[in-house]
Amino acid sequence: MLKRRLLSLATICIAVIALPASASALTVYAASSLSKALPKLDATPTYSFAGSDVLAFQIQQGAPADVFASAAPLYAEKLHAAGLCDTPVVFALNTLRFVVPRANSAGITDVRQLDQPGGFRLAVGQRTVPLGIYTRTLLGKLGMGRALTKNTVSQYPKASDVTTAVGLGSAEAGFVYTTDWYANTKRLKALPLADSAQPLIRYELCAVTRPGADTAGAKAYIAKVLSLNGRKALQDAHFGLPPRS
Amino acid sequence: MTIRTGIFLGGLVLALVATLVFLLAPLAALLLQVPLRDLPGLLRETAVTSALLVSLKTNLIANAIVLVIGTPAAYLLALGRFRGRPVLLTLLELPLVLPPAVAGIALLTAFGAFGLFGSTLAGLGIFLPFTQAAVVIAVTFVAGPYYLRAAVVAFASLDRNQLDAARDLGASEGTVFRRIALPLAADGLRAGWALAFARGIGEFGATLLFAGSVERITETLPLAVYAQLDVNLDSAVAVGILLLAISGGVLLVAKLPPLWSPAASSTPVGGW
Repeated sequence: MLKRRLLSLATICIAVIALPASASALTVYAASSLSKALPKLDATPTYSFAGSDVLAFQIQQGAPADVFASAAPLYAEKLHAAGLCDTPVVFALNTLRFVVPRANSAGITDVRQLDQPGGFRLAVGQRTVPLGIYTRTLLGKLGMGRALTKNTVSQYPKASDVTTAVGLGSAEAGFVYTTDWYANTKRLKALPLADSAQPLIRYELCAVTRPGADTAGAKAYIAKVLSLNGRKALQDAHFGLPPRS
Repeated sequence: MTIRTGIFLGGLVLALVATLVFLLAPLAALLLQVPLRDLPGLLRETAVTSALLVSLKTNLIANAIVLVIGTPAAYLLALGRFRGRPVLLTLLELPLVLPPAVAGIALLTAFGAFGLFGSTLAGLGIFLPFTQAAVVIAVTFVAGPYYLRAAVVAFASLDRNQLDAARDLGASEGTVFRRIALPLAADGLRAGWALAFARGIGEFGATLLFAGSVERITETLPLAVYAQLDVNLDSAVAVGILLLAISGGVLLVAKLPPLWSPAASSTPVGGW
């Protein structure tokens, strides 16, 4: 008797837990840096925000995503090549900022100081995540490829970790996305970077093509992001915009 | 055995089997990801060996601090009679509930450059973030409360009559602590330490934010797993298996009866 009751209780529990995944609205997997802009544009989908690399890995493992919004072409292209999502489209652009804490006790005024002996405590993205890849591209374009060996460098898996490390003063300088800097101008001061050194940072969207995916819903959502309204929301969040197609 | 008892026992066995499958299946799956003979090669990568060294060194120091300072502190907390003791005990358990990332931010706001004690430390020429000292602090902060909590329970459950008897026989307070309380509480202390060790060696969030992830200096094994995840999933899994082996070994050693204690073999084990 008790056993049967427990069994039915367990069945109900499992049903309740499993329900939202199957019956809910569209599920959008999006890079953390989009966590303000996208819900502002459209609050109806279920959002899951994380690093693009983590999201791509989850989708490869069969996560119930309908749309993937990646902070770097690499991950969307990888899923596309594996037949896990349709052709990706560019929907937003970003740039990097060289930032120091407001107090700037290390007295850094120029990114070139990282190339001199002395050594600062520097926070950068891990070489395997988009922020880390872009940072290395930027340093390469500045002809400062060795800067990461001349300073004490801490590498973080998430863009927000770099912002925290510089903002709370464990690092004396760091490289962050322009959008992250705008969200933390109270703590972070941006120093000039030559435009010519900026890497091309493109955000890409694609509709996930797993069995059971809400493809129509995904297409409608992507169209919304690409619309004038979508562009306005992204611009308000300080993203750059690709030419209108 | 009546049918009711049979059903009850069957339920217990079912619950145990469910627990085992749920908790151990993911660990077994991890082991199956990488052929065992590939493990040594994957672990020989320099990033892994340097992270292992950082982990062992910092955890050794952190555990020493936890044991040397935590044990007498727990003794006083358990046996002392003073006002506000329950409040104090609760406060000391608070770090347990902090999400590790928040613990890291808390440590930064206390000991970071702009932190509460930042300028005092800077005046002394001490700068913690990006140093191994910071890893030790993060591990001590996160793992210490596990030991402290267990040690307080172990000391509090001692038979006070035994301690008083020793005092009546002329033993000093120091001798009572060393010769009576410590040996009697040893099992509880060891179990608490094993848990604290396992928590500390797997520490990730607080270390990342407070100490950073600087190769060969503050990059511990758990941080290396994360860094390896994109380079090479196999090598990340190998590091995970290494962590499991280290923690499993320590937990097991802590559960085995100590060779030097005659009391261990006399512990009766109840059962159905």
